[in-house]
Amino acid sequence: MPVEDMHAGIHELDIGGRKVLATRNMMPGMSVYGERLIVEDDVEYRQWDPGRSKLGAMVLKNFDIPIEPDSAVLYLGAASGTTVSHVSDMLTDGLVYAVEFSPRTMRDLIQLCDQRPNIIPILADANKPHSYAHIVEKVDVIYQDVAQPNQAEIAALNSKYFLADHGHLMLSIKSRSIDTVASPKKIFKEEVRKLENGFDIELEVLERKELDPFHEDHLGVLARLFVEDEQ
Amino acid sequence: MMKQEFTVWFGKLRLDEEGGIMNCSLFDKDPEMLSKVVTSLQENVQSVPLKRPDLREAAIECGFVELEEDYDILLREVCIKAAKSQISRTDTDDARIIQAVEALDDIDKNVNELSERLFEWYGRYFPELDMTGEELARFVASYGSRANVPAEHKLFEKASSSMGSELSFADEELLRAIANNICSLYDTRRYIENYINTSMESVAPNLCNIAGAPLGARLMSMAGSLQKLAAFPSSTVQVIGASRALFKHLRSRAPSPKHGIIFNHPVIRNAPWWQRGKLARALAAKISLAARTDFYSGEIDRSIAEALERKLENIRQANAVAPKKEPHPKPHSREKGSKRKQGARNRKKGGKS
Ligand SMILES: C[S@@+](CC[C@H](N)C(=O)[O-])C[C@H]1O[C@@H](n2cnc3c(N)ncnc32)[C@H](O)[C@@H]1O
Repeated sequence: MPVEDMHAGIHELDIGGRKVLATRNMMPGMSVYGERLIVEDDVEYRQWDPGRSKLGAMVLKNFDIPIEPDSAVLYLGAASGTTVSHVSDMLTDGLVYAVEFSPRTMRDLIQLCDQRPNIIPILADANKPHSYAHIVEKVDVIYQDVAQPNQAEIAALNSKYFLADHGHLMLSIKSRSIDTVASPKKIFKEEVRKLENGFDIELEVLERKELDPFHEDHLGVLARLFVEDEQ
Repeated sequence: MMKQEFTVWFGKLRLDEEGGIMNCSLFDKDPEMLSKVVTSLQENVQSVPLKRPDLREAAIECGFVELEEDYDILLREVCIKAAKSQISRTDTDDARIIQAVEALDDIDKNVNELSERLFEWYGRYFPELDMTGEELARFVASYGSRANVPAEHKLFEKASSSMGSELSFADEELLRAIANNICSLYDTRRYIENYINTSMESVAPNLCNIAGAPLGARLMSMAGSLQKLAAFPSSTVQVIGASRALFKHLRSRAPSPKHGIIFNHPVIRNAPWWQRGKLARALAAKISLAARTDFYSGEIDRSIAEALERKLENIRQANAVAPKKEPHPKPHSREKGSKRKQGARNRKKGGKS
């Protein structure tokens, strides 16, 4: 079974001709949400279903994933940790700050944090970066999947507070959280415009692609904090 | 203005205007204590300078930890502790809803008793008045004596020709006071219903979506918590409320002991009798799934409602025609009850659909 490295920590396994996205399991023997464990050459991988993870879909859509093994990542909208667990796998020498505001969901996330050494749980509202500025360091990557009407604003606000120079922002925009009737294309255009010009922070959108067929009406966006001395 | 204090998880930093550290006073490396600092700063939000040092660098610079690794280990421990304690405090969202459901029942009981009293008492002065419940209370609260019903009121004729006895001033004051109380109980009732509706949307959005907020809240209340409801098999969900002990205030109008309160769901209530059992089974299955989704993931899953709709439609189509004979005659003979009883039932119905 050939293993192809797609990015540091992200692999594509070939199981009898079927390509399967996976991360290398940091906690061998443990499946987090019922995903399949696959062993190859004494290495255990966890299957990563792009239909359940927007980040997984972004990988398959060939986004240039900015997460490196030693990155500090701020993850907004961690939910019960499905995707966070794969980010945790990638960060062999890094740390992910997982922000989630639903206490019920946070309970599951904490179980994951108990198992893994590199996830810091934060029960907070991503609209209020003030409420976790005493915890979160400057990060290399912000990943956001909150499905809120003001997604762009939340992303910009957090970038302003926490993104290190040259840091990257990745977000999944769900058109139906913004407007259920307007055309997704129009919404996406407006959200990208807002990200680039709508707030008092300079973000440069590097890539934008829709996440179908994995997620309908979702746009993946990769942006970078624009830093003056680069010019 | 120039200098700013910024408290972080490991200590208090004094910063210059460029965000450089002028001075730091470190907290003890006690995870329990630090987790309290973390939660209290989350709740009492401080103003955060945009220009501020990186926390990890600051911790090392101030000598809180020597190695980055120690920073990670301690921060993780502190944040897990903090999150756990925050959860155990907020985890009672469903408990608040359950209190609200029980408050509704208390109010219904009071309203029913007071309304019957008002009906009986006021009936002596205005026996022709064909009103019960809230309508009667509003009427008495605004007019009191028959003599105050204005000429343009549709009941003016009845009021002026009534055979009832005269109402003394003292009695009128008393009856109005009782009526006002009833009205305000009705207002509180609506207020609580609104509260349940909005809280259910955030605490159990899927359950709310499938069962409706009032029924969802009631199921939660009877199960004891959202967790318990999520743990029930759907066959149990189907009969929740069937036991008299569990749902005592339904005593007077429970249609049949084997039917749980989900039979109050319009999908079942409005269905022909021969489809009800099957529809209830399908509904119970999805209610159970919705409660589990709410409890375990907290995310909204629209596919539950879509699957339910398909299932219900299939049942309706496959059972379009009535079978030959009704297996058990349903005790719907209640319609014949006295006027007053009917009034009381209608009042109750308001909150239980
Ligand atoms: C679509 S789910 C995220 C799924 C997750 N990223 C994954 O792939 O495993 C969105 C999550 O964001 C959370 N959320 C929504 N608004 C939020 C906010 N303002 N602050 C923090 N979390 C939020 C929701 O509670 C929900 O769990």
